[in-house]
Amino acid sequence: MSPKKIALVAGREFMAAVTNKGFLIGLLIMPAIFGLLIVLMPRLMTSNATVVRGDVAVIDLTGRVAPLLRESITPEAIRARLERNIARALNASGVSGDAAARTGAMARAIGAEFRLVERPATADLAAEKRWLTTPPPDGQKPLALVVIKTDAVAPAAGGSYGSYDLFVPPNTSERVENELRDSLREAIVSARLATRQISAAEVTEMTSVVSQPSITVGGDVERQTATGFNQAVPFVFCGLLVFGVMIGAQTLMTSTVEEKSSRVIEVLLSAVSPLELMAGKVLGQMAVSMLVLALYVGIGVLMLSSFAMLGLLDPWLIVYLVIFFLITYFLFASVFGAIGAAVNEMREAQALVTPVMLVLMLPWLLAAPVARDPNTTMAIALSFIPPVNTLAMITRMASTSPPPIWQVWTTIAVGLAAACATTWVASKIFRVGLLMFGKPPNFATLLRWARQS
Amino acid sequence: MEHAIELRNVRKTFGAHVAVDGVSLAVPRGAVYGVIGPSGAGKTTCIRMIMSILFPDTGSLSVLGRASALEAKDRIGYLPEERGVYRKMRVGAFLTYLAQLKGVSRETADARVPDLLERVGLKGTERTPCDELSKGMLQRVQFVGAVLHEPELLILDEPFSGLDPVSVRLLRDQVQRAHARGATILLSTHIMAYAEEMCDHVFMIHEGRKVLDQPMAGLRRQFDPRRILFEPLRDGADVSGIAAMPDVLQVEPGAGNGYTVTLVEGAEPSLAVARIAALVPPARIEIARLRLEDVFIRIVAGGGGLDEAAAALRSRLQAGAAEEARA
Repeated sequence: MSPKKIALVAGREFMAAVTNKGFLIGLLIMPAIFGLLIVLMPRLMTSNATVVRGDVAVIDLTGRVAPLLRESITPEAIRARLERNIARALNASGVSGDAAARTGAMARAIGAEFRLVERPATADLAAEKRWLTTPPPDGQKPLALVVIKTDAVAPAAGGSYGSYDLFVPPNTSERVENELRDSLREAIVSARLATRQISAAEVTEMTSVVSQPSITVGGDVERQTATGFNQAVPFVFCGLLVFGVMIGAQTLMTSTVEEKSSRVIEVLLSAVSPLELMAGKVLGQMAVSMLVLALYVGIGVLMLSSFAMLGLLDPWLIVYLVIFFLITYFLFASVFGAIGAAVNEMREAQALVTPVMLVLMLPWLLAAPVARDPNTTMAIALSFIPPVNTLAMITRMASTSPPPIWQVWTTIAVGLAAACATTWVASKIFRVGLLMFGKPPNFATLLRWARQS
Repeated sequence: MEHAIELRNVRKTFGAHVAVDGVSLAVPRGAVYGVIGPSGAGKTTCIRMIMSILFPDTGSLSVLGRASALEAKDRIGYLPEERGVYRKMRVGAFLTYLAQLKGVSRETADARVPDLLERVGLKGTERTPCDELSKGMLQRVQFVGAVLHEPELLILDEPFSGLDPVSVRLLRDQVQRAHARGATILLSTHIMAYAEEMCDHVFMIHEGRKVLDQPMAGLRRQFDPRRILFEPLRDGADVSGIAAMPDVLQVEPGAGNGYTVTLVEGAEPSLAVARIAALVPPARIEIARLRLEDVFIRIVAGGGGLDEAAAALRSRLQAGAAEEARA
């Protein structure tokens, strides 16, 4: 093996990859998609929301709820209630920042214009139900019929408070029902409080406690805890690993297929051995992947430091990311390289690559349960089973309860052994496959080649 | 003397198909050695084994004194039958890359590329992306790739296939130049005329087996049929006088108005030409050149009774040559 030749092959491979227009597009497309989603999602949701308009008929057997319902069902009241609810939910989940702006956007997104139509207490229920399904031609769309029961405001002696019956036509949206229920609840509670001369506003004020975000105390610095950050870190690290490996391994396969289909391979093999060629190509693409990873990690670190959140990230995570990347990359790249050497054109590669891709994507799909409960049997088992062990382990390490260090080193040892074994087998397939033209191989053929050489 | 290439009883099979069967070969240093035979005879498999791209099932070989070409790759120039380039790379960068892989410094390679490109008629194409060149141009680019590092051994697998006559001449000049520099040339071709012109030694292979391995000079002596091709100036001229000459064995009508005159054993063809010309004024008279194709067919088809096999083989060879001419 000549290190100089390997370096030459690696250099060409690297330059060919990074000077390709497709590479630049691929590099920018991930952050671009993320950015677009963040910017566009709220807007898309807002502009598509429709305002629900229609009549709500009320038969108020108490005679005290209907006037209050008229107030709590107005669009303004509904919006105010929504904003309160969303703010409470966001506050509970610890999301801060532009939460206020987002609450506004989301509240605006759900619009409702209900018109309250009071029916006398003596109204015929059966006739009113018919109104729901066969509306008068000139009237607004009937949305619901509410019957407020007699004991809804004042319970019968020794009994508990009553409620209401809600009748709706078929295909009523859950959103309309929920908003109606909220309005009814507000109106009935206000009516109940009024019978005891208690001010509803006062009760609201007395029962609300603004929950405060926690402060993370770390050595000599204290900062507001970013719950979302802790949840996102495992996904980001697992994603970086998957994406980094995929970029390098896939380009490696494509370039090998190209060398084979353009028949330049034989000229190359007259100058370098198959092993030198494979080593050069694997290293060249590794450099490409490392460049991409460095770029993404760099951008991430810059963003964190601009929000003064850099201290939240354990620098050792980045070190382990690099170690795990190298192990995972060598394993997958050698498989992708062998596939590239075995087939005649990209189309034939698809059948062989799909299962490998699925294996690579599996930990990404399992990242949510693994990150939430990093010490379940499944999570621990996954972190020892190659080739997904490194991906599972980085997810666990980035989670809120990292695994013990012996497990990390076991993962590294298992990963290294698997990477060496795979590279060894793949290099044999690579050598045989490079000059095999004709019938596209299947996995059985690949294994036969590995045994043969 | 140490040989540039030695194959010792080499055999290679692909599944049930025996591609090369017990072939031995010794190419002396400095020779221009022709490997000839029809398509599918086993030439490329032999060359790939010499290059250590394929490995023999049995038998052994040595290249430039090493047990494997892998140990002498940098001293060998190779133009494979399957041509290929990096389509997106520029010609100059591609050639420099190949030369660097062969151990030439970047500076040396950069300096040699423009000159060599000019010699093969591709002046000023250094900055052109490979995919903008025609097939014939790319073939010349690849030839440059094979000689750029000034190898001791130049192995050319069907170097002229698909090239126009001008390009063939340009490449032939470069092969001769490499030979003059001292390089050993191993040239495979199924067009035997090229081998006749260029090689000082031919090695024939047929269905994986060696059928001939001789210097061209000896071949000429051995297979020289002492034939003179003669076409009289006047139509219907009387040629009976020629048949009566003491040197002449027989006179047969040939193509058109021509005749083929066969001389007796030991006759001197140059004297016979002068005598025939003096007897009947010729439009054309020449000593028939040795045709490897005829030698090949004679060897493969044997002495007699194999006319059909010989005709089939001849048509196969001619079909190959016609295909070349079309390309």
